[in-house]
Amino acid sequence: MHGAILDTVVSTETPEGILLELRPAGLSVRCYAFMVDFIIRVVVWIAAATVLQALAGVGQATMLILLFLLEWIYPVAFELSRWGATPGKRIFDIKVIMDNGLPITPAASLIRNLLRFADFAPLFFGFAFASMLMRRDFKRLGDLGAGTLVVYQPQTTRKFALPQVELVQPVRLLAPADQAAVIALAARASRLTRDRTDELAALAATVSGDQGRSGPEVTRRVLGVAQWLLGHR
Amino acid sequence: MSPLQFEEKYQAEWTELDALLSQLQGRSAIKAANKKKPGEKESGPPSKAAKTVISGNRFTQLYRRACEHLALARARAYPSHIIERLDRLTADAHQAIYSQRDFGVKRLAHFLMYDFPASVRAHAKYVWLATVVLMLPTIVLGFMVYAQPELVLSVLEPEQAAQYEEMYSDSADSIGRKRDANTDMMMFGHYIQHNISIGFKCFASGLFAGIGSLFFLAYNGVAFGAVAGYLTERGLAETFYSFVVTHAAFELTAIVLSGAAGIRIGHSLLAPGRRTRVQSLVHAARESIVVVFGAAIMLLIAAAIEAFWSSARWIPLPLKYSVAGVCWVAVISYFSLSGRRAS
Repeated sequence: MHGAILDTVVSTETPEGILLELRPAGLSVRCYAFMVDFIIRVVVWIAAATVLQALAGVGQATMLILLFLLEWIYPVAFELSRWGATPGKRIFDIKVIMDNGLPITPAASLIRNLLRFADFAPLFFGFAFASMLMRRDFKRLGDLGAGTLVVYQPQTTRKFALPQVELVQPVRLLAPADQAAVIALAARASRLTRDRTDELAALAATVSGDQGRSGPEVTRRVLGVAQWLLGHR
Repeated sequence: MSPLQFEEKYQAEWTELDALLSQLQGRSAIKAANKKKPGEKESGPPSKAAKTVISGNRFTQLYRRACEHLALARARAYPSHIIERLDRLTADAHQAIYSQRDFGVKRLAHFLMYDFPASVRAHAKYVWLATVVLMLPTIVLGFMVYAQPELVLSVLEPEQAAQYEEMYSDSADSIGRKRDANTDMMMFGHYIQHNISIGFKCFASGLFAGIGSLFFLAYNGVAFGAVAGYLTERGLAETFYSFVVTHAAFELTAIVLSGAAGIRIGHSLLAPGRRTRVQSLVHAARESIVVVFGAAIMLLIAAAIEAFWSSARWIPLPLKYSVAGVCWVAVISYFSLSGRRAS
């Protein structure tokens, strides 16, 4: 079903016997998320520092401890929360999970975030960039060590509306894959230009017995077959 | 069965699972909503009845049903909106069912009683190696600098050396003379931030075939040895050793442990055995992170001791040395004895 060469989908099988499809998040979106997190941390740090400076010893101690927490514990705490993502990642709809599709474990989160220090070298995240660019699942060193994966949140399903046309019974039996293709065409019809829909429908014209013809009329008949296949009978 | 019939037939189950899921995910929102309800008792913890109890049985049942439906829908090549919906539903439920939310005090106690010491013993050969890499330069540099004090300048800047001397001297600026509660607090924060970061870095840099960890250990050994040798030669032994000896039980050990964990992951990459290198790394990291986490807790203890006890000059030396002795014995016996009975 999915192109094995171009697609970056990672499939993992659950104990229930279904394949979960994970879509790894790439370099750019993770950079944006990192930058947002970085800004949040800096803002929190500056805000806290402004207030705490007035408090002498205790204030300075709190500032330093806060610095430690922001540097090391911030990502761990958020990844272990029920969102599985830092605020930056949440904005871009990505999250961290184990590479077998399970939710991230505390140990894995700690590992991937401590190993960020190794990712940081050389220059600015040199190893992280190299590793993410060379792998199709975009893992940085920390992800490799922890066995974690940063993936896109599964998207909420788009509203599904077929163009309203009159039903047409297919002139021949269709294999499941062909049925799916015709229905998928109908589902996409509203997002395609009219000419393109006609072109694609012409390819499927055999299902309504309109071989070799094309045009809006054929398109309407092919979409009618889709309606029929869906079960409007 | 046509896709429409399929959808119609099982729609109710999917909606129910969806509702349970959003209930699970928005649990805090529900709690807040319950609290706001007028007429209910305001005081006291929210009762069990107030929270909507989610039946685990029903939830897993619905989850398995959805998995079944997804497999069917895929096999029958149903339209993508059905498959996508089931995909998301099962993925979310899968995350909810398998997530670990176990950070209680009990878990921490179990970690400290069993997991940590047992894991340190499992890493014994790495711990000994790390000890040697840290202590050998310490001893060598210590004696070298003691014999030839000017050698300290090959490790420290002249100003730094002067600063150390000042810190441990009997003058007014030395540790414990001038320091008040405020400075103690500040130093506490500093030790937490600085020392635990070093521990973490010592571990993480082990990813480079262990070289980073070995370097951190040796480097710390060199610096520590040079300072110790220099101050001893200057006749400040008493102030210096009485300052470091107590928290060293935790701090030096923790640095050694972080380094050992780093060497472990480096070694797992160099000699993966029958696993692939990545598998071997994942396996090693999963086991050694236990040691790193424990070491971070030890560094926390060390920071408290260093800030509030070590720096207190008014404590008589015999007391300081005996407390230090107790600490060392406690740390060593903790790692050699505790957690031996299977958990």
